[in-house]
Amino acid sequence: MKAGFYPRMAVSGMRKNGRLYLPYIVACILMVAVFYIMHLLGYSEMLENFEGAGTARDILKLGTTVMAVFGTIFLFYTQSTLIKGRLKEFGLYSVLGMNRGNLGKIIFFETVITWLISVAGGIAAGIGFSKLAELGFRKMIGLDSSYKFIISGQSVFFTVIVYTFIFFLIYLNAVRQVRFSRTISLINSDKTGEKPPKANWFIGLLGLLTLMSGYVIAIKIEQPLSAMIWFFIAVILIIIGTYLVLIAGSVLLCRILQKNKKYYYRTDHFVSVSSMAYRMKRNGAGLASICILLTMILVMMSSTSALYINREENLRNHYPRQINCTASNDGFSDSYGEVVEKIKEDVDLKTAEYGAEIIDSYIYTTCYVSGYFENGRLRLDIDPLNNLTTIDFDKVVQAYFFDVDDYNRMTGNNEVLSAGEVLVGVEGNVAFGKELIIGDESFEVAKKINYRQGDFRHVLMNTVVSTLFVIVDDLGDVASCYNGYADTNGNPMLVWEWHYSFDTGLDEAKQMELGKLLNDHIRDELWQQEFWGVRCESREDQRSDFVRTFGGLFFLGILLSVVFLVSCVLIIYYKQISEGFEDQSRFGIMQKVGMTKENIRKSINSQMLTVFLIPIMFACVHLAAVLPIIHKLLMLFGHNNIPLLLICAGICVLICGLFYASIYKVTSNAYYRIVS
Amino acid sequence: MSLLEAKNIRKVYKTRFGGASVEALKNVSFTVENGEYVAIMGESGSGKTTLLNILAALDKATEGTVILDGMDLSKVKEKNVAQFRRDNLGFVFQEFNLLDTFSIEDNIYLPLVLAGKKHSEMKERLDNISGTLGISDLLKKYPYEVSGGQKQRAAVARALITNPRIILADEPTGALDSKSSDELLALFKKVNQMGQTVLMVTHSTKAASNASRVLFIKDGTIFHQIYKGESTDRQMYQKISDTLTLLAQGGDK
Repeated sequence: MKAGFYPRMAVSGMRKNGRLYLPYIVACILMVAVFYIMHLLGYSEMLENFEGAGTARDILKLGTTVMAVFGTIFLFYTQSTLIKGRLKEFGLYSVLGMNRGNLGKIIFFETVITWLISVAGGIAAGIGFSKLAELGFRKMIGLDSSYKFIISGQSVFFTVIVYTFIFFLIYLNAVRQVRFSRTISLINSDKTGEKPPKANWFIGLLGLLTLMSGYVIAIKIEQPLSAMIWFFIAVILIIIGTYLVLIAGSVLLCRILQKNKKYYYRTDHFVSVSSMAYRMKRNGAGLASICILLTMILVMMSSTSALYINREENLRNHYPRQINCTASNDGFSDSYGEVVEKIKEDVDLKTAEYGAEIIDSYIYTTCYVSGYFENGRLRLDIDPLNNLTTIDFDKVVQAYFFDVDDYNRMTGNNEVLSAGEVLVGVEGNVAFGKELIIGDESFEVAKKINYRQGDFRHVLMNTVVSTLFVIVDDLGDVASCYNGYADTNGNPMLVWEWHYSFDTGLDEAKQMELGKLLNDHIRDELWQQEFWGVRCESREDQRSDFVRTFGGLFFLGILLSVVFLVSCVLIIYYKQISEGFEDQSRFGIMQKVGMTKENIRKSINSQMLTVFLIPIMFACVHLAAVLPIIHKLLMLFGHNNIPLLLICAGICVLICGLFYASIYKVTSNAYYRIVS
Repeated sequence: MSLLEAKNIRKVYKTRFGGASVEALKNVSFTVENGEYVAIMGESGSGKTTLLNILAALDKATEGTVILDGMDLSKVKEKNVAQFRRDNLGFVFQEFNLLDTFSIEDNIYLPLVLAGKKHSEMKERLDNISGTLGISDLLKKYPYEVSGGQKQRAAVARALITNPRIILADEPTGALDSKSSDELLALFKKVNQMGQTVLMVTHSTKAASNASRVLFIKDGTIFHQIYKGESTDRQMYQKISDTLTLLAQGGDK
């Protein structure tokens, strides 16, 4: 055989199937390009020298892995759709005398060509867009723009390696598909009469049940820490449920409709109901995939955009003043008062030396224990950290003790307490009556208070677990009571903490400088004092950290969303094309039997619209169901702004919906071109 | 008056860019009486499918008229054509043309559902004919589950259920084995004896020998016709064969 025969066969085969191959190759190029860009930003030396860019880059490193895994799955899926469409052609080749080895060669060259174009084109596109992406990334994580253009050899190398490997897997899969089919079945692959879809009650109901339990978990979980674990369970249940419901449940629904003779034997229902059953059987999995991708996009975009937009409020919650000093130690000793006095003096002195004025300051001391809340009692003998898997996080509660003087000063109240009497504020879900038992100590609850008053609201930094704010008449006395408690590792359970926060009249750069100065100073001063954890943070310094984390997440969210969206487009496009070919003959028959063109068009239109709307409607329901748990998860990042999350979700649904509608327009045109 | 009357039908196909034109039908005239069983014979490319498409209002003649029961097909408005076909014509195709998304029963109901009939009425009509056609046991099955002969019987049922004025059959035995063909032809005969008018296009001598009259079409014109009269199927078969031989030898009548 002449040299170059197989490559030429491969090229002509791909060219003839351009309608299928072109979108596939474009998607491949995009995947490679995004992978390159993520790798470049995440790993290359380009951003290495920027202090604090680390978090954002770690996020992108994670994204690189996600891209590799998703790319593999997705290209596998697309490629097997492609090969299925060409089995007939391969069947003809084998009738003409090609054996499986020859077909394998054609597939080999096709894969090589696709690989070559995708990797070369992808890297070229990646390099082309890398500057744009870099500038966007820098802007979002708050770095200055640079005018240097970098092509990273390392990133190119990794991209080539990863995608060569993926394409190798794809090649093996394609060969397997062709090898294990018989010539005659290759030729008739699109003609074998298809069994009517059976209504599978068991799977349909199982799917519904799975989906519902996923929803219930997502809605019911109250506790952010348990949300972490349950979120994944809910996600998996919802994914499985979506697949089962769309594959089996939809057929079931059609069958039930068909049982109802009055409904079924009507001109506008007859054709659509019965062909829907078929369509859903074939496309259920595809629709479920689209639905899952859309849901991922919606969840990712609404959560990351909410985090990013809310970063300033989040920052101010964490750092209520420009300068925030903290000192803490395990256990309690009578000398602690003197130590913190000393630190405060130092801070005041240094600040004055720096030429800054202390404005609007607040200061307080607290100590806290955490335990397991049962029957109105906070048990300190169970260590949640050692029982992570068995513990009910809803019952993990921390109790913060405050001196009534600190409380009165910060809130402007004038409460007076006697020994054993307490005021209690609650964040979260803790039920108790007139008596509150913490460890072995019993307190008489004089009054429940709203702790969100004045500067006192700043005492709560995170709401990961339920929290009690216990105001006592003498903090030292109470702390001494708990001094003996130790956890399973032998560390004291009681933690003593001192907070001193204030504003200055300085500008932002000076605030940062002062923060660093104070931090270095008080650390040096107290380095000798054992066990003291002392730090001083300026809000300005932390701002860039916040921006980098949330900006990095948002950036990753956008990049992945683009990739997911393109994948969606491709799945939909192939679905429309394959349906088009199927409907071509059906269209003809119906016309001969006496259906008007207009009738047919109407019925096909309504079917397509239904099939098209299913994924996005499901995705919206999914989003609505998981929003509560997402809110809990965002709390772990200190985000507690429900209206903003809702607005972000709404906008994401809107944008996604618009984009989806335009995909519908374009792909249904491709469909009509085939049918008519 | 004749049930179907075709007068001076001419059909010219033009290539897309108006270049060469092909005359598929030159000047075809014939009539079909009520209750008749007519076969139209001819080789591939003789124009018989074109003729059938014109009779079925699937295609329009370049010249000439087709009149069905007093209605001029060319006067039927474009948007009413489908309905006209549904109400007046029954079709049986070589490739059965059953929809694989429907059970046999639903396939048969299709034209009635399109006409907006009630389910009870549809069921009654089907009960009337399913026994004759021998499809009572097949109704709940799907096309892929039954044989070609059974599919074709279902297709006949679909054609009959609307009580059409005429059944147009396009090579109905073309995709069937000989046993199924015989059964189907017997069925057509039975249906015809019950008063149903049938027009069949075929190039099977055996199929044509069942008809009461055979028209021969060659190069776009009606070349000859034979009446069965009192002759048996076998004698009719002989007559048709002779005519075909004559046709093949290119002799003039």
